[in-house]
Amino acid sequence: MTLVRRHFDALIIGAGGAGLNAALQLANANLRVAVVSKVFPTRSHTVAAQGGVNAALANVLPDNWHWHMFDTVKGSDYLGDQDAIEFMCREAIPTVYELEHNGVPFSRLDNGRIYQRAFGGQSQNFGGAQAARTCAAADRTGHAILHTLYQQNIRARTHFFDEYFAVDLIADDEGAILGALVLEIETGEPLLIESKTTLLATGGCGQVFRTTSNAHINTGDGMAMALRAGVPLMDMEFFQFHPTGIAGKGMLITEGVRGEGGYLVNKDGERFMERYAPNAKDLASRDVVSRAIVTEVKEGRGCGPEGDHVMLKVDHLGEEIVSKRLPGIRESSQIFAGVDPVVEPIPVFPTAHYVMGGIPTNRYGRVVVPVQHGPEEVIPGLYAAGECACVSVHGANRLGGNSLLDILVFGRAAGQDIIEFLKENPNHRPMDEAAVEKVMSRLTRWEEKGEGISVQDLRAEFRKVMEDHAGVFRTDEIMAEGVEKVKEIREKLKDLRLQDQSSVFNTARVEALELENLVDIGMSIVLSALNRQESRGAHSRPDYPDRDDKNWMKHSLYFYEEDRVEYKPVRTKPLFVETFPPKERVY
Amino acid sequence: MSRQASGLRAWALQRISAVYLGLYIIYFLGVLLICPPDTYEAWKAFVGDPWGSMAMLLFFSSLLLHAWVGVRDVLIDYVHPMMIRVTLLTVFGIGLIGSSFSIAKAIFLAGLQS
Amino acid sequence: MKFIVFRYNPDLDATPRMQEYDVEVTRGMMLRDALLEIKRQDESFSFRHSCGEGVCGSDGLNVNGTNLLGCITRVSDLKEPVKVRPLPGRPVIRDLVVDMSQFYQQYRAVEPYLIRRDPLPEQEILQSPEERDKLDGLYECIMCGCCSTSCPSFWWNPDKFHGPQALLQSWRFLADSRDQATDERLDALEGPYKLFRCHTIMNCVDVCPKHLNPTKAIGKIKELMLERAI
Repeated sequence: MTLVRRHFDALIIGAGGAGLNAALQLANANLRVAVVSKVFPTRSHTVAAQGGVNAALANVLPDNWHWHMFDTVKGSDYLGDQDAIEFMCREAIPTVYELEHNGVPFSRLDNGRIYQRAFGGQSQNFGGAQAARTCAAADRTGHAILHTLYQQNIRARTHFFDEYFAVDLIADDEGAILGALVLEIETGEPLLIESKTTLLATGGCGQVFRTTSNAHINTGDGMAMALRAGVPLMDMEFFQFHPTGIAGKGMLITEGVRGEGGYLVNKDGERFMERYAPNAKDLASRDVVSRAIVTEVKEGRGCGPEGDHVMLKVDHLGEEIVSKRLPGIRESSQIFAGVDPVVEPIPVFPTAHYVMGGIPTNRYGRVVVPVQHGPEEVIPGLYAAGECACVSVHGANRLGGNSLLDILVFGRAAGQDIIEFLKENPNHRPMDEAAVEKVMSRLTRWEEKGEGISVQDLRAEFRKVMEDHAGVFRTDEIMAEGVEKVKEIREKLKDLRLQDQSSVFNTARVEALELENLVDIGMSIVLSALNRQESRGAHSRPDYPDRDDKNWMKHSLYFYEEDRVEYKPVRTKPLFVETFPPKERVY
Repeated sequence: MSRQASGLRAWALQRISAVYLGLYIIYFLGVLLICPPDTYEAWKAFVGDPWGSMAMLLFFSSLLLHAWVGVRDVLIDYVHPMMIRVTLLTVFGIGLIGSSFSIAKAIFLAGLQS
Repeated sequence: MKFIVFRYNPDLDATPRMQEYDVEVTRGMMLRDALLEIKRQDESFSFRHSCGEGVCGSDGLNVNGTNLLGCITRVSDLKEPVKVRPLPGRPVIRDLVVDMSQFYQQYRAVEPYLIRRDPLPEQEILQSPEERDKLDGLYECIMCGCCSTSCPSFWWNPDKFHGPQALLQSWRFLADSRDQATDERLDALEGPYKLFRCHTIMNCVDVCPKHLNPTKAIGKIKELMLERAI
């Protein structure tokens, strides 16, 4: 069988907000760009983002990108790189205007400008009064943005490979990335896409946990591909648990609900956030609110017969606000929790939501690794953007509304930088056939027949292990056990067998490949978490309850080879403004 | 001249003709209820009245137009082989034109004789 | 609970068949959960799904004769035995997975993107809340395909009739105060096929899982066309 080959200037793996915004830059520059996605682009998980995208437009309350930068640095618990954060907060403003020009149906104010709502962790004047910085299209902002970007890519005639699963990157001896091997899901045929540049934009990996707001497709494929290509994953111990998932289900209830005036109560009807964050209350940073909820439940003040959740009250807002500003939330609550928020509170509990860590990049989206000359050497031709990347703008904790911003700003930046890269590197490098062979073996491995463990069962076991051993509260003992268990599961991967070996639309095979990816990422999370002996942002350890800036203000780097964890310094020097030095983080 | 068959015009004609058909049927039923022509002569007078015959002519042309659009729609929906569709359209077209002549003849004759 | 599921694997089966499965129903179980349980019992069973909360539009299915989204349908609301089939009128690739390429082509054909001819302002293009309200009920479409694949006109002419989904999107841009291509859009819809195959059967309105109303949108397009024609 001969392997079919296609040639492109740029290969983008993943068709969410980051991938599509990068593709749009490239297609508009008349480059040959291929977007590979394992689902039809509008199914990408950007579609599920609800609340909005942050930009200091000052449409509702006074605002300034510098205040936005301060909030983001503080929200990151001072682990974010301040140069990248400055860049993102400055770029936020033109980015949102560009989106609007592209057709995003933002909600509007009476004066015709974009509606902005309050979100957690936002302040005016460097920690002062609450700001309103989150630009929203009702509570369907991600949907509106993703569809608009896809539509603009249709206009720009981007080349889409829909329902193609990326198997692995192809690297040559010098470490340059030559493209990727992909699998056409419909036919089961492999396809080699040779490309001068490759952008990983595969999104998050929430499926490592059992209860998650993430979609079935969020299996961190790009991160695992990067790991196997020798790229470390950065800051993987920082996994955000969103405070308000529907209890027991995990579907997201946007922070926008609290931004519009909703608040949390325990079984006594007490508005408990007043105790944990006297100023910001329910709009404290997500890690703070999540820990508060878990503490309430642990101390016996949870609601329901099991006392295992708290309530989110919205009913005082009135039907008009709820159906105008939060129509999707009303629908989800009715379907999944059986309550109409207009009359009853919504049962909520933290749900695995977002990975702050990922593939280390600089602010141009170029993947950077420590090779020989310092911690940040560029891998030629390889880019990453979006949730799979770690620039790092979110540090140890991401602020609500900064995720859509991250994917858009750095998707765009990566696209622009690829254009520059292609000017200097106009030719394809020769294909490394040995590397192709090696990557093909990842597919042929699943042709092994016989009895074995089923993918579904091992996946369920793995996700339970991760939830138990790398959840909201982490101790040395729990996590050390977690590392051992993940190692066992990694061994068991070899005993997996597919009973279904057919070629056409074989989802069992795709899920097997995804499980391999998940387990590799699971190890990066639990091992990085075990090694970090402090509490910072989303990483909270009862045995090391304080932030330790002296020893731990540094990024973790997990290497697949030998399960090694190294560290590199935080970039505390912004581009043009003064550094925000670490301070105690109170809301 | 567009290379396409009409869409909007056909659709609008169908709606407008339907409105007229509806109105005329109400009027006609009214006549039947209130003062039905009971003899052949009375019928002839009813049809031959200049205003009446105009209204009736308009009714039948609307009916034929309405039928033509309807038949065309059904054929476009269900009959995909081009030759068969063209043949059927021609047959219906000739049928409808033939009917229109026959109706026109009846109405004009009634008008002349009254 | 008994499920009778459409199965077809072109590698193995000469013809499609219906296969029975027994699924133990848990509290609050959605149809997608039941299908995942079937997948656990039989890994050769294929269907599309992703977000599990009705926003990605992957799992449009035909259940007991009605098109719906698996992830937001409670199994307790379904009549037993539950007959699960792929969306009707589309070529089956495997099991519940259908080929939606014609559906997507029709979407592309309506130029579903904002067209603006004036120079762009440095800030946002202004739009009043009332103008923005006109997009409600239009932009929320998740492209699940439930509507178009329940439309008899789309079954008959899927290559030429845009179908309810694409026409809803066409109106979404016609209705947008920022769009400046009204005449071109309307001209492109002329002819007996693209728009005028809609016979207001309204299956689309019945099945839309997001409670949108494509028939109404199609009516508005026709109204606007008429208005511009006279």
